Amino acid sequence: MNYADNFKQMRKGMDLVQAVAEADRCLLCHDAPCSTGCPANTEPAEFIRKLRFKNITGAIRTIKENNILGGACGVLCPTHRLCEEKCSARFASEERPEGADRPIQIGAIQRFLVEHGTKIGFKVFAPPEPRPEKVAVVGSGPAGLSCAAELAKAGLSVTIFESRPEPGGVLRYGVVANRFDLDFLNRELADVRSLGVDIRCNAPIDSTGGAEKLLKDGYQAVFLGPGLWDAATLKTDASGIDGLFSSVDYLSALRDGRFDDMVRRAEGKTVVVIGGGSVAMDCIESAARIGAKDVYLIYRRSFCQMPAEPDERNEAQELGVHFLLLNQPVGYEVDADNRICGVKLVRTRLGEADDSGRRRPENIPGSEWILEADLVIEAIGNQAPMDLSQAYPNVDVDARGLIQADSETGRTSVPGIFAGGDIVRGPALVVNAVQDGKTAAKAIIAYVTNGEA
Amino acid sequence: MAGSTKNKVDLSVDFCGVTFKNPFLLSSSPVSNSAEMVAKSFEAGWGGVVFKTLNSDRLPIIHPSPRMNCIDYGSKKEMAVQNVEQISDRPLKHNLMEIQYLKMHYPDHPVIASIMGFFEDEWIYLAKIAEDNGADMLELNFSCPHMCIEGAGHKVGQAFHLIEQFTSAVKKNVSIPVIAKMTPNITDMNEPAVYAKNGGADAISAINTVRGISGVGLDDWVPRPNVFGKGAPSGTSGPAVKPIALNFISAMAKCEDLQIPLSGIGGIETWIDALEFLLLGSTTLQVTTGIMHYGYRIVEDMIEGLSDYMVERKISRVTDLVGKALPNLYETDHFELDRQGITQYDLDKCIGCGQCLIVCNDAAGQAIDWDSETRRPHLIEDKCLSCMLCSFVCPVPGLISYKEMPRDWQRRETTVMDPGLEKGLKYEPFTKEGPNECIA
Repeated sequence: MNYADNFKQMRKGMDLVQAVAEADRCLLCHDAPCSTGCPANTEPAEFIRKLRFKNITGAIRTIKENNILGGACGVLCPTHRLCEEKCSARFASEERPEGADRPIQIGAIQRFLVEHGTKIGFKVFAPPEPRPEKVAVVGSGPAGLSCAAELAKAGLSVTIFESRPEPGGVLRYGVVANRFDLDFLNRELADVRSLGVDIRCNAPIDSTGGAEKLLKDGYQAVFLGPGLWDAATLKTDASGIDGLFSSVDYLSALRDGRFDDMVRRAEGKTVVVIGGGSVAMDCIESAARIGAKDVYLIYRRSFCQMPAEPDERNEAQELGVHFLLLNQPVGYEVDADNRICGVKLVRTRLGEADDSGRRRPENIPGSEWILEADLVIEAIGNQAPMDLSQAYPNVDVDARGLIQADSETGRTSVPGIFAGGDIVRGPALVVNAVQDGKTAAKAIIAYVTNGEA
Repeated sequence: MAGSTKNKVDLSVDFCGVTFKNPFLLSSSPVSNSAEMVAKSFEAGWGGVVFKTLNSDRLPIIHPSPRMNCIDYGSKKEMAVQNVEQISDRPLKHNLMEIQYLKMHYPDHPVIASIMGFFEDEWIYLAKIAEDNGADMLELNFSCPHMCIEGAGHKVGQAFHLIEQFTSAVKKNVSIPVIAKMTPNITDMNEPAVYAKNGGADAISAINTVRGISGVGLDDWVPRPNVFGKGAPSGTSGPAVKPIALNFISAMAKCEDLQIPLSGIGGIETWIDALEFLLLGSTTLQVTTGIMHYGYRIVEDMIEGLSDYMVERKISRVTDLVGKALPNLYETDHFELDRQGITQYDLDKCIGCGQCLIVCNDAAGQAIDWDSETRRPHLIEDKCLSCMLCSFVCPVPGLISYKEMPRDWQRRETTVMDPGLEKGLKYEPFTKEGPNECIA
């Protein structure tokens, strides 16, 4: 089996017949609870109704006008706790049996409509009336793309500065390809570019004061959406160990030139992933798919305490991943060449509840043991790069390096500089970043028009 | 909206000299019962209204209760609605104030007053009072299916001389354009429509509801709706009646003696329904049952869907679509019968349900062999009748399609079960001459 091929493409989505049948189940609620459940106001109630009334082009338009990354959100959103959680169809059965509820598959319909739009060549956007104002966007992830598209739709001239060789941010370098593939990403990027947005890659804004200097270089406003690209680590002295990766580094490797190297490291080997979030699930699933013999997930709490989405957890289990729950890593074993060969673990048990209401894990004394490993991936969270904020020294940041921005406008402490996405929120969803981009764009348009946001 | 491709076409229509910003109107019914409702519909995007039929207050109007029943088809709700509703039960003064309100607040949305009298003076009274209070047009309700008095409602629509008489009387007393609304509860609509035209009607609207019975209670044996133990045949509407409406509309559009504008009514819910009515000759379109099912909001999708279609086809004005399918509409004797074809199966897509086999065996040409190992159909081409039934039941789109066969291709005759029975057959061929126009 060719792991690489299996791994680089998404599973097929719904076709027209399936999407129409699913839309037919929609109850067309008058107060549209699904729409209130979408953080980016993608208006599922409206696009499902349009599909229902055979206004398919209108349905595509609703998605794309409200959410330039509507395809990505349709694929990546944890819809079961967003739009679909509010769906009245969940409760429409005669008996209302517990667990048998079936919300409309809103995410799948959304994905279908976006893909269908490409297939039929439907154009949502027409060239806007150009305006003279120029805006710089730092970062081409979901927040930056969303902000840029919204500004471009209003006729502003937008330049995105991306430090990496290719655009997309987390959509390219932070998600595995079989969840969100390159073809799909490129189509969504084409929609952004079709609005006239200029995306410049290999163009980091990291010099001292660089982001603020853009205001002096002819840009009337700047949007900061660089994301969180530094990995949290268990042990600061662990760097230099061969075979120990952060999730950021590992997932990026699967999307750039290091793919073959990563396959070589995993194929037929024992891979250990540390963490219990969605990123950890991406890591274990991908490790299994690229041919690892055994994949272990180490999590210090219980299965149901994992922050990962239930469907992600279940899929990983079905792939044969070994979930080592109630185990806490305390160190790494290396060989004479400083290559990783094991993880030192201690068993835990759940004690009293902590502030978040979850029972806190406690190490069980004397229970240390060693799990042999050929490749270890730490997936315990992303954080702001330590030196990133020097590019915007006058912008207020908190102790974690997160930019302090107004949630209503994206405004920062520096007039003309706005921010959104993970660099403001900390780790969050793509759809939240999309909304931040839209919010900030609205404020930026007001700012460049009237001088205030 | 700048930067968007939305609604970039001209949907406005001229209907008897009155301009509508789009062809989508509320028809005269519960959905146009009050100014509050109509105002809401205008805000939603409807281009105009045929206000609920006015009455002169001479007779009390009391609606039966319950008023309606519906037919579901599987999980599909309301494929037809049957109602026993009467004309407006509101005082005439109230209705006239409502019309004035709408004209005052929505001057660019034409208001068509539907009226119904029981004799000439009453028709004239209602027509003049509607005009005097601001109605842009009149629609003469010759078609309410719930009137039992001779000379009223659909009883007029079935008595053609009365159509002409009442239309003529109205026309002589008002200057605004007059539409005559036809009942479908007849065989040929062209004839009454021409009577209306001869009486001076400026346009025809059709169809009113089809007399029907939507169901019978299995426990109480009362036809529905059950009005305290009694049912009655009454007006049926909705998607189920669309083919009937399209037939009448297209026949009138092709009628050389008629040639006046048409307002299409009958089962319109989506922009595709609307487009079909336009292509077969309607200039304006009226909707009730679609609104009864989904609310005024459906007009948004009619406008957007039709606009996108027009952009794609590079048609800038909706009036350029009116009647465009009529040149392709014939009677069946015009078909080229020497051109024949069969179905073809793309079996790579087949999921093996075998519904095609069942319908071909039980309703068509027994043209399918079934491979029970692979669970796949095999078409016996020269037995295929090209009825297309299999393609209707097939759950996979595009699996079964039609293909024309060469002119010299022959379909196999249906097999006789026992050819041995021929020798005992009591049979003489029919030899008399008769009309032969239909078999040319």
